[in-house]
Amino acid sequence: MSLAWRNLFQDKTRLALSISGVALAVMLTLLLNGLLTGMYVQISSYLENAPGSIVVAQEGVTNLLAATSILPGGAAASVKSQGAAEIVPILSQFIILDLHEKKQPAYLIGYDPKIGGGPWNMAAGREPRNDKEVVFDRTLAQRHGVELNETLEILDRDFIVVGLSEGTSSWMTSFIFIRKSAAENLLRAPNATSFLLVSPSPRFDETEMTTRLREIAKVEVVPKREVMENDVRLFGKFFSAPLQLMVAIAFLVSALVVGLVIYTATMERQCEYGVLKAIGARNGVLYRVVALQAFIATGVGAVIGVAVAFGAAQLIMAVYPQFLVVLEPRAVMQALVTGLGIALLAALFPARMLARLAPAEVFRK
Amino acid sequence: MNMANATLQINHVTKRFGAGETQVMAVRDVSLTVAPGEIVLIMGPSGSGKTTLLSMLGALLKPSEGTIALHGTTISALKEDRLPDIRLRQFGFIFQDFNLLSALTALENVALVAELAGVKYGTAHNKATEILIELGLGARLHFLPEKLSGGEKQRVAIARALVNDPTLILADEPTANLDSKIGHEIMRLLRAIAKEQGRSVIIVSHDQRIKDIADRVLWLEDGQFKEMKTRAVDPVCGMSIEGEKAAAIFEYKGTTFYFCAKGCRDEFERMPEKFQEGGTGMA
Ligand SMILES: Nc1ncnc2c1ncn2[C@@H]1O[C@H](COP(=O)(O)OP(=O)(O)O)[C@@H](O)[C@H]1O
Ligand SMILES: [Mg+2]
Repeated sequence: MSLAWRNLFQDKTRLALSISGVALAVMLTLLLNGLLTGMYVQISSYLENAPGSIVVAQEGVTNLLAATSILPGGAAASVKSQGAAEIVPILSQFIILDLHEKKQPAYLIGYDPKIGGGPWNMAAGREPRNDKEVVFDRTLAQRHGVELNETLEILDRDFIVVGLSEGTSSWMTSFIFIRKSAAENLLRAPNATSFLLVSPSPRFDETEMTTRLREIAKVEVVPKREVMENDVRLFGKFFSAPLQLMVAIAFLVSALVVGLVIYTATMERQCEYGVLKAIGARNGVLYRVVALQAFIATGVGAVIGVAVAFGAAQLIMAVYPQFLVVLEPRAVMQALVTGLGIALLAALFPARMLARLAPAEVFRK
Repeated sequence: MNMANATLQINHVTKRFGAGETQVMAVRDVSLTVAPGEIVLIMGPSGSGKTTLLSMLGALLKPSEGTIALHGTTISALKEDRLPDIRLRQFGFIFQDFNLLSALTALENVALVAELAGVKYGTAHNKATEILIELGLGARLHFLPEKLSGGEKQRVAIARALVNDPTLILADEPTANLDSKIGHEIMRLLRAIAKEQGRSVIIVSHDQRIKDIADRVLWLEDGQFKEMKTRAVDPVCGMSIEGEKAAAIFEYKGTTFYFCAKGCRDEFERMPEKFQEGGTGMA
């Protein structure tokens, strides 16, 4: 109905206020969700791209990033005898790097370039050929001004950066790669292996393979997906609660802003709505006018919010490459539903007020 | 008058507000019959129950006792949810403050009410345009209320009251916010509508100067119709007062003028010529 549009557009400041309120909430919701999703992607990026579907770890270890795992000697042989087709051993450890005087946590992976388990996407250079070479995360390198062929210290040894890898960054757990033999030296753990990344032979499916591997003593056998989930849970738990709180606050604040704007707009027109009621408009008609106003304001706001969120995500990733913002269609839908919820909330109180309005009051001032 | 012929039939209507000690009896046992095309003016002092009575006639308020029948249908006994439709199609309301929707143009204000009654957009706009042109507002169709003068606003309000072809027009102090010349114009317009279109009109007012356009003038006091006493009009504010109860009296050129308050008399004293013809005095 045109009355809703006219009422809405009569006060442009107010309209702008409620639209920006919703846009802000939708954008924040999207961005925060996008950051969270991006963080999960980053946290599990190594296992996502590493070979194998089952992880064999030290007994009691069910995650990659937060635990130190040393497998008992002979574990690889046992795994082989249980029917694994491919076994990729890595020796890995969470470390703190000293990059140009700045401390930077990273996840060091020692791997055998002939077997696999190294960087999956080289942006520049090559993989390490000897124990003095390292492949560095490109984003981390860029942030700290680390160049190709530069020598840098890891723990207390010097390494030459021979390659830069893509997709291995995370704002807290960037991955860096050296040869497994170099890692054994560096971590003073000769012949040690942290994890075996196992692919079952075609004779067994994943569940059968897992069951067979669990017969081996003193090791933990966990499907790769589960390890990824555990990592996400461990690291995500620090952030998802505050982020979700922020999303909730953004939602509430914008619902309040829009609700207040629509409410005061309706209050101010109380007399006009009373006149309509006296003339013979039913409550339903008035509800529709108020609800339509709320939906127009939030609809426009939500669309703008989504657009701005996409722009802001690009901007954030350009300025801070360590952040990955993933805007999934599902999250966009969720944000739009959020907008819808805001509209409903915003229309609720004015509608109640209109219902209570006594038409006879129009003759009294 | 034949009951079936009457537009409106009011029988022993009483309205009480509140209960116990603080109960107010705003209207007491009022009866009235309005014929088609008749113009009834209900006058009376402030607080006498005029608005309350009009609200009951317009199905905005339920009487505590008594019945109100429109064309033989007892609307005072109908369920609440039947009333909006009756108000929309049978009554035209005109208010003291015009009460136009500020966001809509003159045309939209009128058309909206037709649309509420289920008339299609195009038809509603054509009809609204037609009525507004008839009322001399052809050049103001697309003006917002804030751009209209008081008299123009009240004419838009009249057009809005007419758009659904009501049988009865109810007006509460329709001239109170207009100067007397425009007020008179509006009253003549209402009279023409009543007589040409056969619609009944009930006007509530305490403005004596519009008495002449009514077919019948009723005096409401303390919620009851009373005999009109020796009455005078305060020449300054236009308020109707009983001669005996006047707050102040002033003799000027052999005529006694009555005032509702001392302030009005003081104003009159300063410039008698300005007010002289506005009031009635007693020689
Ligand atoms: N909703 C209400 N509740 C309580 N008292 C009311 C209400 N409406 C009117 N009254 C009282 O009824 C009396 C008549 O009021 P009203 O009909 O407005 O008179 P008028 O229109 O002649 O000035 C007044 O005493 C007023 O205070
Ligand atoms: Mg009144």
